[in-house]
Amino acid sequence: MIALGAIVAAGLVTALGVRDAVALDLVFTLLLYAVLGQSWNWISGYAGNISFGHAIFFGCGAYASALMVTHGLSPWLAIPAGAVAAAALAIVTGFPTLALRGHYFSIATIAVAAIVDALVRTQPWLGRATGFELPIASGWAALQFADKGPYIVLALVLFAAVQIATIALERSRLGYYLRALRANHAAAAAVGIDERSWKLLAFAWSAVIASCAGVLYAQYTLFVDPPSTIALGVSIDIALIGVVGGIGTLWGPAVGALVYVVLAKGVALELGGTGKGYDLVIYGAIICVIAALRPHGIVGTIVDGLRRRRGALELGAAAATGGAA
Amino acid sequence: MLARRLALALATALTLTALPLAPTGAADPPDIVIGSVLPLTGASAQTGAALRTAQLLAQDLINGHVSYPLPMVGKSGLPHLGHARIKLVFADSQGKPDQARAAAEQLITQEHAVALIGCYTSSTTATASQVAERYGIPFLNPDSSAPSLTTRGLKWFFRTTPSDATFADNFFQFFGDLKRTKKIDVKKIAIVGEDGLFGAGAGDAEEALAKKYGYTVVSRIAYTATTTEVNAEVQKVKAAAPDVIMMASYLPDALLFMRGFKDQSVQPQAIMAQDAGFIDPNFVRTEGKDAEGIFTREVFSLDIKHRNHAVPLINQLFELRFSGKPLDGNTARDFMGVLVLADALDRAGSTKPDAIRSALQKTNIPGNLTLMPWKNIQFDASGQNQGGSGIIEQIQDGKYETVWPFDVAVSAPIWPMPAWKH
Amino acid sequence: MAVRCRGERADLADAGVEALTTFAQLLVGGLLTGLVFALVAVGLTLVYGVMDVVNFAHGEFLMLAMYATLGLALLGLGPLLGLPLAVIAMFLFGIIVYRVFVRRLLAGPPEATVFGTFGLLVLMQGLAQAVFSSDFLSVPNPPFAGTIRFAGLAVSQASVVEGCGALILTALLFAFVEYTETGRAMRAVAEDRIAATLMGIDVQRINGLAFGIGAACVGAAGALLMLSYPVYPTAGVPFALTAFVVVALGGFGSISGALVAALLVGMLEVFGGFYLSPELKLVPVYLAYLVVVLVRPQGLLGRR
Repeated sequence: MIALGAIVAAGLVTALGVRDAVALDLVFTLLLYAVLGQSWNWISGYAGNISFGHAIFFGCGAYASALMVTHGLSPWLAIPAGAVAAAALAIVTGFPTLALRGHYFSIATIAVAAIVDALVRTQPWLGRATGFELPIASGWAALQFADKGPYIVLALVLFAAVQIATIALERSRLGYYLRALRANHAAAAAVGIDERSWKLLAFAWSAVIASCAGVLYAQYTLFVDPPSTIALGVSIDIALIGVVGGIGTLWGPAVGALVYVVLAKGVALELGGTGKGYDLVIYGAIICVIAALRPHGIVGTIVDGLRRRRGALELGAAAATGGAA
Repeated sequence: MLARRLALALATALTLTALPLAPTGAADPPDIVIGSVLPLTGASAQTGAALRTAQLLAQDLINGHVSYPLPMVGKSGLPHLGHARIKLVFADSQGKPDQARAAAEQLITQEHAVALIGCYTSSTTATASQVAERYGIPFLNPDSSAPSLTTRGLKWFFRTTPSDATFADNFFQFFGDLKRTKKIDVKKIAIVGEDGLFGAGAGDAEEALAKKYGYTVVSRIAYTATTTEVNAEVQKVKAAAPDVIMMASYLPDALLFMRGFKDQSVQPQAIMAQDAGFIDPNFVRTEGKDAEGIFTREVFSLDIKHRNHAVPLINQLFELRFSGKPLDGNTARDFMGVLVLADALDRAGSTKPDAIRSALQKTNIPGNLTLMPWKNIQFDASGQNQGGSGIIEQIQDGKYETVWPFDVAVSAPIWPMPAWKH
Repeated sequence: MAVRCRGERADLADAGVEALTTFAQLLVGGLLTGLVFALVAVGLTLVYGVMDVVNFAHGEFLMLAMYATLGLALLGLGPLLGLPLAVIAMFLFGIIVYRVFVRRLLAGPPEATVFGTFGLLVLMQGLAQAVFSSDFLSVPNPPFAGTIRFAGLAVSQASVVEGCGALILTALLFAFVEYTETGRAMRAVAEDRIAATLMGIDVQRINGLAFGIGAACVGAAGALLMLSYPVYPTAGVPFALTAFVVVALGGFGSISGALVAALLVGMLEVFGGFYLSPELKLVPVYLAYLVVVLVRPQGLLGRR
């Protein structure tokens, strides 16, 4: 919690103090990806069902925003509308698939995402392949700002809320049941934990979070189309952020987002202009190394290390007291 | 970030200390920064690199003193601004709309660009130009063809290239001309395109114009570009028995369709392509004789050299800078885009945004002073150049020959296309 | 009156024949498409069967095999001549990747294999773009460019060759797994790794071989595909996505299941494209997957 407070404070200072548009853009992107990564973490990390189609929920929020605005309604309505759509989509698609074992579920998420993508491209009311451009506006009512500051404040609020929600998840009954299910399906079922219902709950919530990020994205970028919001590439980016940081950890997604932003932007700046895809090579190599040597991701490894140290200390203390006693 | 700041500070310090050593005399006016947003990484990176080379070539020619029959070339900078030189600063859009947005903002707020140029793909142009609109900076788009870009009501957006609507219209003008000269009989049209922005945009424009000109669209097929087979699509086209098939495809799908049409003996009078896969160097190499007779709209051709003898000269200069690859539609348009901006800047005599915009609105460059097969460059109220147009080429003997408009054609069109050789 | 009736009947008959021909053409096209999918999928299912690993970089292995075939073709060895070399090269590549990388992934938590192979996907795509650029590259003057006509139908020679290749490969793989000692060892490891170890089977060696053979299969697939397709860094993605669905539909680990599922998917895609819409032709495929794994979670012919 202290860490969270520090980050929020730093973020607010940045939002109010820094004027550099490029830096602010990096901060905003970082926060947005961290939120998306965390939403993915709920279903893939805590619940253990690895999703490669998470972008469709992000798209729910983005498209909700675009639709509201182009129909003359307030973009604030997109938050509940997108959330409802995302939750509904999660429940409808999760109900049949969440009980599937491992790889079957992952491929099911790809299948669902592909169906959604194909449907969006054929529906005129969803903009088909052209997508939507949001007209320029300003002010809190329009949820659009000329200055970046308010966007970062909103992103911070979202990020803080999601982190707090994740802490709550870890300590809640849902979190407990999810951990039990991950540890041993059969034992959990024997104790009466209904896998499907609890995972559906986690899935729906993760969809809602992603949708909120989608609304903010749409109001920031002012452009929504299938390749930038619901394509397989976007789902893969989200998944990679979660993995690199550390699946199933509180701060994993944030760290993963940091790595992603630094790498993607940094490499593009330094090596950009050659058109050679070096950034992909570096990114892929890092993931391979992490997967082979440090499968719990960056944060996971740190957590493991801390646990082991604490364990050793406790053992030492016990030995000392035991010896003394 | 910090490193960059430190480096900049160091460089500034060094420059300041070096000043007393610089030759005294009239101080040079500061460079005029034009920001360029291009896909320098990502899927379109090759094109981005080519566009960058073309733009830099234009910049160097403007700042140089060798004259060509082109606006603003060889005047050692901008005369009405004290011969200030223009300087292009590039930012990478990575081919993504949100990145393009950030890139545009960086160029405006950090590099203090007085105008922006870019961005190749229509989706990145959309977001980058919105940023320019917000900041009140003129934005010149030389190469994105989505018609919607000039229907947004933006005040600072100017586009020199024709849109998909114009390119589609070219096909129908071509038919009209052939009806008069060769008495062709075309009534039924099939429109086949990939379902992304490129194919859908071209297809929509074609469909609307077909109806307007009184043709029947007997089949409209959209497919996903990454498809690995086109059995159903080809059967549908075959069942519709069109006189002409209009295609908007990338290379792999173009090859699949050509294969399918040949195998299934789908024999229209002509296949009209919208660039992309059909002008990929690999297309003729793979298809060989089967490619004979295919028409494609193009944006530019070296064949128009009799309109402006600068065409082969600029082509040579470009080839020198870009590993021997010749100018194409994209690079030619981007080259011209920089010249158009320079022309406006010079007439404005100022770097104030309003002055530049006003000058852009009054742009009037005759077609034969450009590299393009255009009537002229003149923007209408929505920022669209009204004088632009495409040309139509046909693959004859394995080469792309300009066949329309007739005044720039180097070869007569072969109609109908030759039968598939089995 | 009688003449007009006969004329109308003739028109209807013509229309009927045409519809039948179209249907037959789609059927044949669907089967051939399915065989191409089988070609790509068999290697994937073997690897999963033996070591429980879905190689998410499978498409990139295919892409690599395609580039290798192109390279050999540019040296003068056409796709069919270069095929054995491509197969051997990919076999060795598969074994190396297993020894250096996949083996470590197997030692970690279950999600490590998913993300490790995904990282491999990103890495290989990036390398391909860096080394080969994103240009579309084709084998110049590929063989089997002609058309075969029979019974009023037409198919391209290349797709027939690819189809035969798929059948031969599937049969070979099936025979290998069923009738050879190594194949039996693989089945043993697939069924019960611990018991197999107790029986004296070197699981690591079997795993490596399985991965290598899986890669070799994809090598053959890549060589044959170069008869009809250009290669580019992401060329493997659409084939791989379909392969994942095919393998899951047929049942992970079942070679015959992969073949049956592939044919089914090919037909669904082609008929879906014609009777539904070309834009939505993959929807029936993905829907079929979702329905089957719901009703029969282990796939059509899978174990457990």
